[in-house]
Order: sequence, then C-alpha cells, then structure tokens
Amino acid sequence: MRQWYRNLDFATLLIWVMLCACGLIAIYSATHGEAQEFLLNTVQNSFQRQILWLVISTVALAIILSMPMRLLIRMVPWIYLVTIGLLVLALLIGREVGGARSWIYLGPVGFQSAELAKVGVLLMAALVLASRRKENSIMNAAMIAAGVLALPVLLIVLQNDLGTALVFVGLTPVLALCSGIPLRIVGLLILFPIAGYLAILSWQAALGFTVLVGIIAWYGTRSRVWMAAGVVASAMTFGIATFALQYVLQPHQVARIASFSNPEADEYRTNVGFHLVQSKAALGSGGWFGLGFRQGTQTQGRYIPEQSTDFVFSVIGEEWGFVGGILILLLFAALILRLLWLARAIDHPIGNLVVAGVAGIFLIHVCVNIGMVLGLLPVIGIPLPFLSYGGSALLTNTALLGIALACYMRRAEFALYW
Amino acid sequence: MTRTRFLLFCSAVVFVLSVLSFQLFRLQVTERQGLSEIARGNALRDIRVLPARGLVYDRNGTLMVQNMPTYTISLASRYFDRTRIPLLAEHLGVPESVVSLRLEEAQEHNPYRLYPSFTNVSFEQYSRILEDSYWLPGVGWEIKHRRHYSTNVRASHALGYIGEVNREELNAIDQQSDSSLYRQGDFLGRTGVERGYEPWLRGIPGVARRWVNVYGLEIMSYAQGQGDQPPRGNYDLHLTLDYRVQELAESLFVNKRGAVVALDPNDGGIIALVSKPDYPLEMFNEGIQSDAWQVLVNHDEQPLYNRATMNLMPPGSTWKPFMALLALSEGLLGDEGEEATIFCPGYHPFGQGRFFRCLDVHGHKNVVQALQNSCNTFFFELAHRMDLDVFKTYANRFGFGVEAPTDLREQTAGFIPDSAYFNRTGRYWGKGSIMNLGVGQGDMGVTPFQLARYAAALANGGTLHAPHMVSHLVEPETNERIKLPAISDPSHLGIDTAYVNLVRRGMRLVMEAGTGRASQIPGIPSAGKTGTAQAPGNFTDHSVFIMFAPFDHPRIALAVQCENTGGGSLCAAPIASLLAEIYLKREIPPSWQTDIRMQRALSATSESLISTAE
Repeated sequence: MRQWYRNLDFATLLIWVMLCACGLIAIYSATHGEAQEFLLNTVQNSFQRQILWLVISTVALAIILSMPMRLLIRMVPWIYLVTIGLLVLALLIGREVGGARSWIYLGPVGFQSAELAKVGVLLMAALVLASRRKENSIMNAAMIAAGVLALPVLLIVLQNDLGTALVFVGLTPVLALCSGIPLRIVGLLILFPIAGYLAILSWQAALGFTVLVGIIAWYGTRSRVWMAAGVVASAMTFGIATFALQYVLQPHQVARIASFSNPEADEYRTNVGFHLVQSKAALGSGGWFGLGFRQGTQTQGRYIPEQSTDFVFSVIGEEWGFVGGILILLLFAALILRLLWLARAIDHPIGNLVVAGVAGIFLIHVCVNIGMVLGLLPVIGIPLPFLSYGGSALLTNTALLGIALACYMRRAEFALYW
Repeated sequence: MTRTRFLLFCSAVVFVLSVLSFQLFRLQVTERQGLSEIARGNALRDIRVLPARGLVYDRNGTLMVQNMPTYTISLASRYFDRTRIPLLAEHLGVPESVVSLRLEEAQEHNPYRLYPSFTNVSFEQYSRILEDSYWLPGVGWEIKHRRHYSTNVRASHALGYIGEVNREELNAIDQQSDSSLYRQGDFLGRTGVERGYEPWLRGIPGVARRWVNVYGLEIMSYAQGQGDQPPRGNYDLHLTLDYRVQELAESLFVNKRGAVVALDPNDGGIIALVSKPDYPLEMFNEGIQSDAWQVLVNHDEQPLYNRATMNLMPPGSTWKPFMALLALSEGLLGDEGEEATIFCPGYHPFGQGRFFRCLDVHGHKNVVQALQNSCNTFFFELAHRMDLDVFKTYANRFGFGVEAPTDLREQTAGFIPDSAYFNRTGRYWGKGSIMNLGVGQGDMGVTPFQLARYAAALANGGTLHAPHMVSHLVEPETNERIKLPAISDPSHLGIDTAYVNLVRRGMRLVMEAGTGRASQIPGIPSAGKTGTAQAPGNFTDHSVFIMFAPFDHPRIALAVQCENTGGGSLCAAPIASLLAEIYLKREIPPSWQTDIRMQRALSATSESLISTAE
C-alpha cells in the first residue's frame, strides 16, 4: 500500500492546529485568574474540557481520514437520518441550555444536536445536488436539496436555536453557487439576507439597495422579468423585515436586533447592548499589540458575558491586540481559501460540493460571529470555529474539516465507483 | 465548479474578511481612545485605604488601646452554590436554615453583589471559610478594625469614645479640606484623647488604584502599584497616664461617685484621670445602639459626665493652703507674718458663735498650726480681713475660675465670686457673706482637675503647668518620635517661695500629725490637706483631698473628690494615699497602714441621690 498520507493537505492541518491553540490560550485566559471563583464550576473547567474534546476530535479526524471514500458516501443517507433522529430526540428529551432545547445528555456528557447536524445535512445536500442525472434539470435536484435543508432547519427553529438555523439558511446560496444553479438565482438568494440586514440598519440604505438591485439585474440579464424579480424580492424583504420589527416580534427581541448599531444608547447599554459595549471596549483597550496574556482588564474582570464561548474573539482582541485579531482573520482566510482551492482540485461534483460547503460553513460562522463581536451584526449566538469553547462545535467543525481533507486525499477514489 | 464561480466564492471570502479587518482596525486603532476609556471606567477604581488608627500606650509603654480585626462574611446569592449550604453552616456553626434565610436576604438586597450576612464571626470560622473558598463561590469576606481596650482599665473619660461621623460633620469637613478624609461610615473620636488627638490618630487615607471585576472585586493592582498612595500621618500615642494608678483608682471607687486627677507636678502630665460612674468604651465600638445611648444619657448618676474636669463643688478645707498663701503675700497677718497667731475659741466671733463654727477649740494658732489642725476660725478671720476682688485675682492666678490650658477638650472654668457678683445678686452683702469663702464654702465652685493643678503647684514650689494626657507621638512604621510643642508656657503663682514652703510644711504636718494622719504612705513623707464640702440640701458631705508626694522632690500630686461620702479624711484621703503609693513604689506592699486605708476607701459609699429624695 502506498503511504496513505501522501495526498493529505498538511497546510490545512497546520492552520487547524494553530487555530485550536489560539482558542485554548484565549479560553485559559478567560477562565483563570482572580475572578475565577465567581464563574460557574462548569465554566471554570472549560480549558480542561476543551483539551479533552480536542483529543476526541483528533480521534474522529483520524477515523474519518482512514475511511474509504466509498464507505463514506454510502453512509451519507444514514448519517442524515440519524441527524434528523437526534434533532427530534432533542425536542423530546433534550435539556434546555441558554434558551435552546438542543442538548442531549448521555450521562454526564452532553452534546448539542444542532451542531452535529451540520455534518449530515451538508453531506446529504451535496449528495442530492451531485447525483442528478444528466437529463434532469438542476432545479429538480435543487428542490430536493432545499427540502433536505428545510427539515433540519424547521426542527432547529423549534428547538429555539435561531443562530444555528441561520447557518443552514446561509448554506443555501453557497451550495447553489457551487452546484451549477444559474447565477441569477444565486444572486437572488444572496439578496434576501443583505436586504434584511439593510432594513434593520436604515430605510434609506434599503431603498438604495433596491434601486441598485434593479440596475444590476437589468444590466446583468437584460430581462425585465429578472429585474422585476430582484426589485420585488428586495422590496418584499425590506417590507417583511420592517413589518416584523414593528408588529410581530416582542419588544425585547426588537431591542436585541436593533441595538447592535448603537449599543451605547442609554436604553441599551445596561441590558441588550451590554455585550457589545463591553466587547468593543475590550477591543479598543487592546490597541495595536494588546495588553498581554492574562492582562486584559475586560477579560480578567469578566465584563464580557460568554467570553470563553461566543465572545472569545474579544478576549484575543484585548489581550493580543490588532495584531492578534488580524492573525486570526488571516488564519481563517487561509483556511477557507485553501479549502476552496482543494475543492477546485477535485474533479468529481460531490467532493467539489462537500469541500466548498465546508468552506462555506466556516465562512458563515466567521462572518456572523466576528461581525457580532465587532458590532457589525446583531448578537446571534453562534461560536467561532476552533476558537470558542464548546465540545460539540469543536467535534463538528473538526469532522467537517476531516471530511474535506478526506475528499481531497482520496479524490482519485471517486471515479472508481461512480 | 467553474472558474468564474470559484473566483466569485473567493472574492466573497476576501470581501467578508476585509470588511471584518477594516472594522477591527477601526475599533482597535482609530477609536481606541474612547473605547479604552469605557474599559478603564469599568475596571479602574481608586480604593481608599484607611490607615490603622493609632495605638495608645500608657507612660510605661503598656498597650492600652489597639485595633482588633472583626470578620464579616458576605453572600452574593446569584453566585452561591446552594448545595454548599451545609458546608457554610458547618463552618459558621449555625443551622442550615439560618444560612438559607441570610441567602434570601442577600437575594432581596442584590443577587449580584456581596451582602454582609454574618458579622463578627470568629477568626477560626473566618479562616475555615477562607480555606474552603474554592468550594464556596459567591462567598466574600471583609475585615474591619475595631478599637480594643487591652487593659482592664476603663478610663472612659480620659481615652474617650469614637462614633460614626454624621452628615453635618461630613459637610463641615467637605468645606474645609480634602473630602477623602472622612466618608460615610467612618469613625472619629468624640471625647477624651480620641477626640483631642483625632488628626494624629487617624492620619491621612491613602489610595490603592485597582482593577476590579464586574462584581466590584479587586483583581490586580494598576501599573504594579505605581499609582498607589500609602496611607500616612497616623501616629501612636504615648500617654502620661499610668495604667496601674488608673486601674487602682477605678477599683477603689466602688459604690462611689466622684473623680480623681493625678498630675506629675514637674511637667503637668496626667497620671490618672477618673470620673465615676463610668461606662465601658466597647459600647461605642460598632456605633452605639440608640437604646444603650438613652440609658447612658438618662441615667441618674450621669456616667457620660466628666466629673474630673467639669464637676463644680466647693473645695472645703483644701482651700486653706490657698488662703494662707493669699494672706501671707498680702500681709493680712500683720507685722509678725508667719508667727502671727489668731485665737480660736471654737468659733469666729463675727457671727456671735452661731454661724462661723470651728471643729474644735484650738486656742492660739499660727498659720502652720492652723493648716495642720484645719482651724476654721483662723481662716474665717483671714477672709474677714481680705478684699474680695483681691481674692478673685489670686484665685484666678492659681487656676481657679478660669479654664486651664490643656489637651483635654471638656472642662469648666469653675466659679470664683467677686464684688460685682454679689452686687449683681441684688441682696445686701457684707463680711458675713464672704467669710465662708475662707474655708472653701459658699458661693464658689472648683473642679477636681483645678484642685490637682493647684496641688501640683504647691508641690513644685509655685509653677502651674498645662496638664496634658500625651507625652509624645510615635510613627508606627519608622518609629520616629514626635514631641508636640508645649500647650502653653508654665505660669507662676507669683508667691514668695518662703511662703510656699511654709504652707508645704503645714500640709506635711497634716499628714504626720493632723487630719491626714491615718493616710500616710509608709516610708514616704508626703503633704496633703483634707476637705469636707457641704452638699446642698440634706445630703451627706462631699469628701475632698489634695496631696503630693514625696515631700522633698514631689513626683505626684493628686486631687480626689468623693461625692456624698462624708469627711475628707474618711474616703478621699486614703484613696489619694494609695494611688500615690502605687505610683511611687509600683506596688502596694501589705502593711497595717495599707489595711486601714483600703478598709476606709472601700467601705465609703456615696449616698444614693434617689433614696434620700424619696
């Protein structure tokens, strides 16, 4: 047998190791120190637990890398079914943590079913999109794939874990882009979140965006139908978002969504804006080079809630400064672009889609999480891959990375049985 | 994946991460100033560090007042692990229900902040909780320092009590000086030495610049403590008080009201200052409870009242040395001076024998003999011959009727009449009205404090020192010794030394062959003068005594006043004698003289003001 690792992409693995190491440093800093006694016992042990989960994740990575591609592909529908089963199970017997009923406990070990679902859903959607027959329209496959995505999204929304559900929604345009669905439809799909975001920011921006969409659609397609579709879609998104903010959502939900652009306002800064004010203050006090390991006053003073999980980036920003923050962003850029490069090197559509999908999932997480920490997006509770404390997320993300690496490493195997 | 789509995806990635990088730069570099100010405002606290209040030592270096830590355990209910209730209850030695109850109190107050739930826990309990602090999240502790009186001396009026600073005082302090000096909840000296030396005892609070966490707890120092200012300017007091003398005086005053003032005649240092009844200073340690305060204020015997420096009563026969000196200086005895005699038939003829009675038929007595035997007739005659305004001038020169320069804050000037006073009262007055003054009775009032100063002046040959409690201050860190400037220059009685020595001889005879015979100090010659001051109404007389010893080089001068206990030789004299002895000999060796004095001093009882009134 040839050395199996000859085609393993060590650059990606190196980035993974570096990100995990940065995460451990930040988690250690956030959970040790003079104010440690005020943390819950479970939070005090975060560092040790994360190391344990890292070991488990490494084992999972090794297992995935050692599996033949054929076996992996065969398993996809079963993985998907198990995923749906777990999501249903969580709804029935799950434990509610932080408002979301997505935790399943096996004795003392708990895991987040919605996190794990990312693997099965991505694989299943990629399988569906890639296995259409030549004569069938891509749109038929797309419909089925949309169903594959919609079912878990529905279950996760029922679990009240909106952040994770958003990741699946965000996956739609990514998969569409990579699966040959017409670009104008991809454009339409991307248009919705942008229009919604602008609707929250200001109505002038939303109006301007609508006009812009019309112009681009006209010059892009020279079709009145598409131009109208674009304009109507963005206008509708704008309308629905505004309507929802005014009449549907509870005041505290509106405050939470609307507060991100000015969290310092008097009505927000002590409640819904508190996270962001403190997060920004931490970043600001970090400056160019940071205050140093375990020297951040915001971090050591526990001013930022969730600082070892969702707000771990502000810990890095405060203690390691702009240099540290940029290093993290560069590592993520390298990871995602490297994954895309790997995806392009795979000839087979299924490998192609899976690897690009993994890159897409990471991109969404980075964008939403860091955007939130930096005050560009509303506070949406999703973790930063490999950095935030959280066993399920670490295992899931490592597994996704492993699958991507396996697809690249065994890219020659696709042809054998397809 | 086509090349276009690959490039589209890549540019999306680059776009998103560029936006994030741009915003990161904006926050960390462009807006750094404002944002880091929010962080500093969060976390940077200037914590006031109070200096330890100065300790108080007696003249021999015995620690009298110190600071004892008291421990408080606080709970922050939000962070407290309720499964640890049994552990905490066990450490505190209270039932679990009590812990639960306190936890609910803390919850109601503010679940996120530490709330003082258990005050005054013992050091053992405190250290057990500290050891287990890892298992007790949400449990905090605080150490406060309280005054602790380490001898069994009360010295309530000499040392004084401390009290929590009130709103008006805070406002006054704010207007005068640095507002960090006192804050709500601080204590300051209210009476005695605690009040008189408040600025030295207290010192100036320092500042510790600390990073605090979101719960307000200190987590680290700012810039390695460079911004800190240590507290400073607090000094330990070394008193002139001798705690053994004070202790004996307090123990001899059982069942009695009255006062003792003992001075060092060479510099005016106060060796003992007793006012009975008194009260334990510990009552004021945590801020006095209002019911306890009401008891003190409304008590019939007025324990808060400083009899030693404020109680006015006639001096009785202890006034006679003064009258003798006045007469000698003013030549009232005629050409013969000290050899002049006055005949005592048992009364002064001015009142036809009815009003101005003597205790005995003394016959012809000169001034020394008159002092020795306390002959009233002799001193009635001197008063008969004197001018009232000259009397007042002399009395003021001796420190009566005026306030003394001293570091004690509470005193009364006393009252010495002059002709203007009698004119003002509007009645007819003549020699008869002022003759009583010759024997220390009638319309006059002096304090034990003034009598002691007068005794000290007689002891040292005529110098009046400023009586003071504090000999020097010591900086506790550097042991730097500070001698405060004298309160005032000593003044002189302006009496010929020969006359003073004559009167001293008379006072020595009082002790050796006169009314003070029974109160001699074995082996140490002394001088004294008994006095019996008439109490108004039908109450028993007050017992008064002045004394100094040893005769040749006096080291202690005393005035003792026992209210409503009878004649001066009965109660005040033995007490003064015992106090002088313990001061000079450092102990009281057993002897028959000791037995007699002890027996007299202890058996004397102040007549109750209430029972007689009923």
